[in-house]
Amino acid sequence: MRDGEIQASRVWKRFRADRQRQLLRDQLDRLKRRITGGSSAHGWRWALRDVDMAVGSGESIGLIGPNGSGKTTMLRMLAKVMYPYAGRVAVGGRVGALIDVRAGIHPDLTGRENVYLYGSLLGVTRREVARKFDEIVAFGELETAIDRQVKFYSSGMHVRLGFAIAAFTEPDVLLVDEVLAVGDAAFQQKCLDRMRAVLAQGTTVVFVSHDLQAVESICERAIWLREGVVESDGPVREVLGDYRRTVEQAAEVLAPAFGVVRVVKSEIRGPGDTPVSQQPLEVKLLLESPEPLWASISIGISEGPATPIFLLGHEALLPAGQTELRCSIPFLPLPRGRFYLWFGIIESTRDLVPWHPVGQFEVLGPELTPTPRGILRMAPVQVTPTWEVEQR
Amino acid sequence: MTAASSRVTEPPADILFRLKVRAIPAIREVWQRRELVRTLAERDLRVRYKQAVLGVAWAILTPLALMIVFTVFFQRVAKVDTGGAPYALFTYLGLLPWTFFSTSVSQGGQSLVVNNQLVNKVYCPREVFPLASMAVAAVDTALATLVLGLLFAVTEFMPKPTTVWVPVLLAVQVAFTFGVTLVLSAVLVFLRDLRHVLPIILQLGLFATPVAYGMDVVPASLQVLYSIANPLAPVIDGYRRTVLLGLPPDWHLLGPAAVAAALWLVVGYVVFKRLEPGFADYA
Repeated sequence: MRDGEIQASRVWKRFRADRQRQLLRDQLDRLKRRITGGSSAHGWRWALRDVDMAVGSGESIGLIGPNGSGKTTMLRMLAKVMYPYAGRVAVGGRVGALIDVRAGIHPDLTGRENVYLYGSLLGVTRREVARKFDEIVAFGELETAIDRQVKFYSSGMHVRLGFAIAAFTEPDVLLVDEVLAVGDAAFQQKCLDRMRAVLAQGTTVVFVSHDLQAVESICERAIWLREGVVESDGPVREVLGDYRRTVEQAAEVLAPAFGVVRVVKSEIRGPGDTPVSQQPLEVKLLLESPEPLWASISIGISEGPATPIFLLGHEALLPAGQTELRCSIPFLPLPRGRFYLWFGIIESTRDLVPWHPVGQFEVLGPELTPTPRGILRMAPVQVTPTWEVEQR
Repeated sequence: MTAASSRVTEPPADILFRLKVRAIPAIREVWQRRELVRTLAERDLRVRYKQAVLGVAWAILTPLALMIVFTVFFQRVAKVDTGGAPYALFTYLGLLPWTFFSTSVSQGGQSLVVNNQLVNKVYCPREVFPLASMAVAAVDTALATLVLGLLFAVTEFMPKPTTVWVPVLLAVQVAFTFGVTLVLSAVLVFLRDLRHVLPIILQLGLFATPVAYGMDVVPASLQVLYSIANPLAPVIDGYRRTVLLGLPPDWHLLGPAAVAAALWLVVGYVVFKRLEPGFADYA
């Protein structure tokens, strides 16, 4: 097996449902249950079921999925921290795992002492650590704090210290589990840059994150785990697209719990029904109001549950009863993909309809041109420029 | 594949995972990571001395205090036959291996539980945790041994040339201690409440071991059995014979004890390796 390769086949892993308790009393209970012929499956919960994962040297894989879908468990087995219940896991070469980087750091020691401690935990010799010490400190931006006890660090500094050490260990396979969540935006960006640099050196990277944009910017391939089973495995854009769709389907079109005006129906149409990139678009909403109201209407389009890409506002008098609201745009500045329609109405400061998604729609259009790796947010707006390339 | 596998609720029996342990590569890996043992031991020492006002003195105070207590009480109350050596030296030579053993077992036994954050999240040969605890205990013992030199000076007693046997005794002592520590550290992961019983057992152990008294308290016919059950007994007896009395170790007792210690070591390692796949799940 080559360095940097990962081969996991038919991996199963289970945990005790009551795994917090490891007392003699509990063991005796279990023994009794076994002797009296109780079911052996009792009290077990499957974390992973029949998971296959083959990664070539130098590949970058994003592991995605909701909480509790088995991502971290998978990563722990790749790191040889845990063993599977069934199946086989093999990883070639040195493995660097960033699974909760704060774990290896002792609060009572200084930053300097911890660099050596965590370094040797990760299998780096003291000499090597000493050689890279300044680089590590500079990367973690900890020059002034390195001789302070870590318990006096902020949580961001804590993570920076951990990531800085782990990032400089030069493994063949780098496993990264949601470590970036604590750092500030600038440090996150730095970590992502570092991961890209490591990738460029030919290291295999497996990246677990809920930050789908970060996954998209690092990984070429993604594996989506759902309740311990591989739901899909393929090019990152496709898998993320599918994932977003289901996750957001669940969250979507939740009728708001309050609001004076009710949204009865929403409809989005392009020319020939389906919206098309760069073509006109019409949004139709059927509203029902109990009384005549002077309303500030807002419509927004977003890529996900996040901030809208653009907003459209209008003031109108809503009569009592049902009203149809139509809004047309002559030119839809969105690339192909899936988008969400958000809607809300206020009257001065009162929410008549709270801001919430009322529907989702697919936009057709030409395939996007490939973008250089490292563009964090895939450009959500499409414009039509004229290009001129002229030799001077 | 997705639809099919979500319906299967148990893995087929032929792919169940079994950890294959080959002793030589496993031991070689621990050897390669000896620096980690040192770093972990250093961490524990640093942390301990940062928190404690008396710092290093603790390592010396524990055996010293017991020595004084034993000297005051046992020497007065129960006349112990020391073969002519000062009682303070006699009992201190018993206290050194005993303290090493009890510190190793109590700290090392809990090492996997205490370091669960690491066991859970960082890969390294798991043996390093009990080993690091033993290294800490060894440092303590080395410091306490300095006091032994002082005791020799105060009592104006000279160690005998037969002291050269000490490394042999030390090997038996360390093998036994490591074996017990390995078993306990592994078992404690699964039986957490054993941790509360451990101090009581160690208390009893102090009196079941010839620390305050000599080997001659045990009837001659039972001495071999006693040595097998408690390999520390002939080791302590050996220290006294070689260092204080100028006699070689009692091979009739040390031999069986050495076999028992070796057995503890092998069985301890096997138990440890057998339970190892579960450490991260439960730690």
